[in-house]
Parts: sequence; structure tokens; C-alpha cells
Amino acid sequence: MNSIIVDFLEKALVSDYVSSVLVPSGGPDNTFPWTLISDVSALAMAEPVPPVMYVQGAKALASFTQSMTEGKLLAVMRPCEARAAVELSKLEQIDLDNIILLTMDCPGAVPLKEYRRDAGIQPDISIPETIRPLCRQCTEFTSAGDLCLAMHGGLREVLPLTPAGQELLDSLGMKAEPDTSAWIEWASSLKAEREAVSTENRKSLKKAYSGLEGLVEVFSGCISCRSCRTVCPICYCRLCFIDMKDRRCPASAHLENSRSSGAARVMSGTLLFHIGRMAHMSLSCVSCGMCEDACPSDIPVGRLVSMVSAGTTAVFNYSAGSDPEDPLPLNTFRLEELHEYED
Amino acid sequence: MNTKTSVLVSESSIGDTLRDLLGKLLENGEIDSVFALRETRQKGRYCYSLITDPTLIREALPFHPVMPVQGARALSEMTITEPFGRPVAALLRPCEIRAFVENVKQSQGSLENIFIISCTCPGVIPASKLLGEDREDVLANHGGNIRNACRTCTGFIPGPQADMTVLLASDEPHDGTVIYLNTDRAVEIAGKLDSLSRETGKPAAELTSGISEAREKSLKDLMRDIPAPADGLQSLVSLFAACIGCRGCREACPLCSCVLCDYETARTLHSPELVRSEAKRKGSVRVPAGTLQFQLGRLMHISPSCTACGQCSDVCPVDIPVSDIFIRAANLVQESLDYAPGRDTDDTPPMATYLEKELLDITD
Repeated sequence: MNSIIVDFLEKALVSDYVSSVLVPSGGPDNTFPWTLISDVSALAMAEPVPPVMYVQGAKALASFTQSMTEGKLLAVMRPCEARAAVELSKLEQIDLDNIILLTMDCPGAVPLKEYRRDAGIQPDISIPETIRPLCRQCTEFTSAGDLCLAMHGGLREVLPLTPAGQELLDSLGMKAEPDTSAWIEWASSLKAEREAVSTENRKSLKKAYSGLEGLVEVFSGCISCRSCRTVCPICYCRLCFIDMKDRRCPASAHLENSRSSGAARVMSGTLLFHIGRMAHMSLSCVSCGMCEDACPSDIPVGRLVSMVSAGTTAVFNYSAGSDPEDPLPLNTFRLEELHEYED
Repeated sequence: MNTKTSVLVSESSIGDTLRDLLGKLLENGEIDSVFALRETRQKGRYCYSLITDPTLIREALPFHPVMPVQGARALSEMTITEPFGRPVAALLRPCEIRAFVENVKQSQGSLENIFIISCTCPGVIPASKLLGEDREDVLANHGGNIRNACRTCTGFIPGPQADMTVLLASDEPHDGTVIYLNTDRAVEIAGKLDSLSRETGKPAAELTSGISEAREKSLKDLMRDIPAPADGLQSLVSLFAACIGCRGCREACPLCSCVLCDYETARTLHSPELVRSEAKRKGSVRVPAGTLQFQLGRLMHISPSCTACGQCSDVCPVDIPVSDIFIRAANLVQESLDYAPGRDTDDTPPMATYLEKELLDITD
């Protein structure tokens, strides 16, 4: 898969249709830093589909594309990363106008901490134990962005998904029109399988941690490092509301809090932070699992946010990262909506 | 040395003695609340708590060998806008006290009304080691499992801010409990606790010289082995290659107290135009840019006041030896500035001190 993508990137970069490429490359110590490449020779180090996710691709992309002026950029990323990029474009953090997103049939990613202990582990789409819990239940494992490299159903082909993707293929003289029926069948059967897994997992997660008591329990190990927020592609605010000075609580209020219950946890905003974060970003959550990878306390935070996201997006009939034209629910005013949630 | 110091002794365990002592202080109104560790609803996960109900003091875990949150950070959160209006007994490790003293100097908290009970510190266990099913074994082999930062810690005896010091780490194993009374307030409080007997004992430093020696040696090894900036840019790039940019090290650090870090500001972040033009000039660049800039910038900002608690390494999800790097730099920086963080609230931080003539040896 890596060599097909690298060949494609090389063709695109040489053609002058794209002027730069964003792709993970092999770095020291089993790392895969995102690299912005304009010189074809730098593609020698490219590792388009690394076994792990160190930084969410959309986050890497947003770091230099808030305003795009010159030349087209071809970015290779996993489907969840491409969908996060679409959400970030709606949030005006990425200007997608001159960006072409190439995705692939995603094998999933190895949990980061496990990979750091044993860099020999490779993600295997057919062995769920090799990939993260969220990847095991991911139903959007292919066909995101403008182009997708199909690797199943007998294909090894870059397929266009949008006019922009088609235009790139045309300009590279890649005119193949393969039979995609077996690939589509593969995708829908895996999707059905994963849907069953995800329904089951969400059910048991909900059962284990529902209600205030359940949330208190699952987040009790939170050490307030805020890594989940920092690595989340959707949490882009420079200063999070939870860290603002006017949220500070005076010593007397802490003592009062402790008096009223006999004993109170200090670093007190744990639940407020997590629930607030879910309220802010769950509609755009792409279930990439980066938050869970980063959590030093092994809280299943990604699975929780993903579960909440399944609920909130259903209410608004919204699918994060699917259609760049689909407006963000929280930015859309409708006079008549959500009456069923009114008193 | 033949000096004798005033101590409280008890035949009960340290945990029981302290819970008993704190419960009495709460009951008789000497203190309003206790700041101590408790286990959460999940086994192996702990949090700092403010306990006011004397019957709940049984849940306190005095000096349990974990540091889920640096104590100074928790105290700073509570006292940044106003000091405690009533006395609070805080169970803190020496590095937490030092960090909080630095916080106070930087207007990030107040020591007012805090009665500090500390210990000769044997060190804490990395949080990640306690997440597994084998946590009881890990706890049982406490000494073999402590943080790197603890292994090299030579500041394990608390400074003068500690009102009481519990003899926890010592060269010879000891039964029961020994509590040093360091301040007048401690002596006054001890007078009200009739269940504990007053004696005189050897100072803590005398009973821990062996530990001190071992720690000095580990620190020397660290100073020799950890890569330094002088080893060149490439060694630093490799050291921080796995950094995922989660900033957990900064958030967990008790000294990183800025509301908005310099490295998140528009002034410091690399502009999209700069990143793209650098890619063009060099052929390729790593994005997001600024990994090393953040790490070295934080090192520069924090090293004068780093209290070597090791919290940064503890939270790092990719096991970068952050605290080793910081401890090495902090030792060199603090020595050259002749500054000991946490020693005294009246010492002014070197970065806030203007001296017309200083550091001439490193000036051209």
C-alpha cells in the first residue's frame, strides 16, 4: 500500500499539478512525523500509512493551511483524518480550496502506548486485537476525501470520489475505470460487521458508565493533563473556556464544597471539563481515537466521546466530515426544531 | 552531629497515627480541613481531596506512594484568588512544598493558613505502573518501582516550610511512627495531642545519610548520561522525536502556570506562510512545527524553578524522559544562578531579579 501511494505522490508532484504533498515520513526512534514535501527526493522517506497515529493528520494540516494562497496541496491521510479536515474547514481552521485529500482502505492503527513498547506490532484489519478499540468499531474505514486507494476486492487502485479527485487523475493521465463491485461488497460487509461491534460496545459502555455516578467513576482517574483536548483535531480553541480566569473558584468555595459533602476532590472541574468538551465537539467528532491514545490514565475517553457523538449527530441528522457543504448544526439557526426536547 | 530534635512517637503505623492525629485536629477545631490523597471509586486511581468531616479521615491515604496531580498545582488552584480563611492541614511531599513555594513567589497561590505535614520522602511510583492488575505487587515492591526523578532526588527532606516531618524514608527500617516538630505551631499542636508521646531524637538527616548518598550517586549518573543540548541538535531531535504535542508535560507541571502558554500564542506559533515557504526552501519540513521550540522554550522558562518532581515524565504517553532532561538542566541552571527553588519565599526568582553585574563568565 505504501509504495502505491508513494508512486502516486511522486507522479503528482512531478506533474506540477500539485506543488506540495503532506504525508507521514519515517523518523528516528520508530516515529512517523508529518512532513510537508515540495521536493520529490524527500518522498524517499514517506510512510503514507504508518502503523500508529502520533498526530492526527487534520491537526498537522491545520497547522499551516488556515489560509491557502499558492499551489495545490495533496494530503495523504486516514479516512478519519480526512473527515476531521472537512470539519476543520467548516470551523474555518483549514482552507480546503486548494487541498486534495487522498485516503485509503484503512487498516486501523496500533494503540500508541503498545506500539511504543513493541514497534514490531503491525495493524491488521482482520485481527482486531492489533488495532485500537475505536478502530475495531470504525465503520468509516474507507472512501473519505477526494480520492481513495482501494486495496480490497481485487483492487489496487486510486479511485476518485469528488470532481477535484477526478481532475487530479485526469491531469495525471490515469484513466482506469476498474470494476469496483467486489470492493464495494467487501466494504459493506466489513461495515455491517463493525456496526454490530460498535452497537454492542456502545451498549456495554453506556451500561457501565451511565448517569452522573457512572461518569464520576469513569473519569475518576483523570489527572487534568488535558492531553485529550490538545491532541483532538476538533478542539482547536487557543484558550479553552475551562482554563479561563473567570472560572477560578476561590479557596472559600473549595472549603464550602468540602464541608457540604464531608470531602471533595481537588482539581475540581474534571467532569465539567469532560462534559463541556463533549458538548462542544461531539457533533464534529470523527472517532479517530487520538484522545484515548494520549490519555496517560487509560480512560476510554475516545469510546465515550464517540458514543456521545453517535447520539448527538443522530439528533441533528448530521455526519461529521462527510459532506463539506453540509452546515455545522451548531451554526445553523432553525426557527422550528428540537421541539421534542422542550419542556 | 549530636543535636537532638523534638519528636512525637507512636507505636502505631504511620497511616493510622496520621489519620488519628488529623481526625483529632479536625474534631477539636485546630484545623478546618485536611488536604490529602484518597483512592477514587476506581482501584489504583487516586486524587487529592479536601476532607472536612472527621469521620471521612479514615479514607485519607497519607503519603501513599503516588502523585496523580502535583500537590502544588492543586493547592494553587484553590488559593490563587484568595488564601484559605481557616487552617488547612496539607500532606505534601518535599518537592510539592518547593513547587508551591515557587507558586507563591509568582503570585499563583498563598501559604497562609496552611499547616504542612511532610515526610522524608521515599519517592512515588509512576501512575502507569499502577493501572494494571499487578498493582498490589508493584506497591509491595515500592522501592524498586519509584520514578526516575525520585531515584535521583536529593531534596527528599522537606525544607523549613514543613511544620511537621514524618520519618518515612530512613536508612534503618523502623517500627511505629516518628514525627519531627519543626515549628512553634507544630509544638503547640503537639501539646494538644495526648495520645502521642514527646521525645527527643536524632535529626532526620542523620537517619537518612545512606539514602542521601545513594541518591547523590544516581543524580551524578543522570548528569553524565542524559543527552544535553551540547550533544547537538540531532540528539535533541531524536530525544523528542516521539512527542505527539499533547502538552501533558506542561499541564501537569506545577511551575507551568501561565493561563496561555507562550507557545500557543499567535506571536510564537509559526505562520502558515512561513511553514510553506520553509518547505519550499528545504524540500520538506516536519509539521506541526515547533516541537523542539516548545520543549526547549519550556526548559528555559522552568529550569530555574524546577523542583524535580517527575510529574512531566509520568504523564508522557510516549515515555520521553522529560524529567531526566529537565532535572539535568535545572541542576546546571540553578547552580550557576545560585538559586534553590522552594528554599524560602523571600528568595526572589532569578528571572525577576536584575543585577547589574552577573554571569560575567558566560558573557563575551
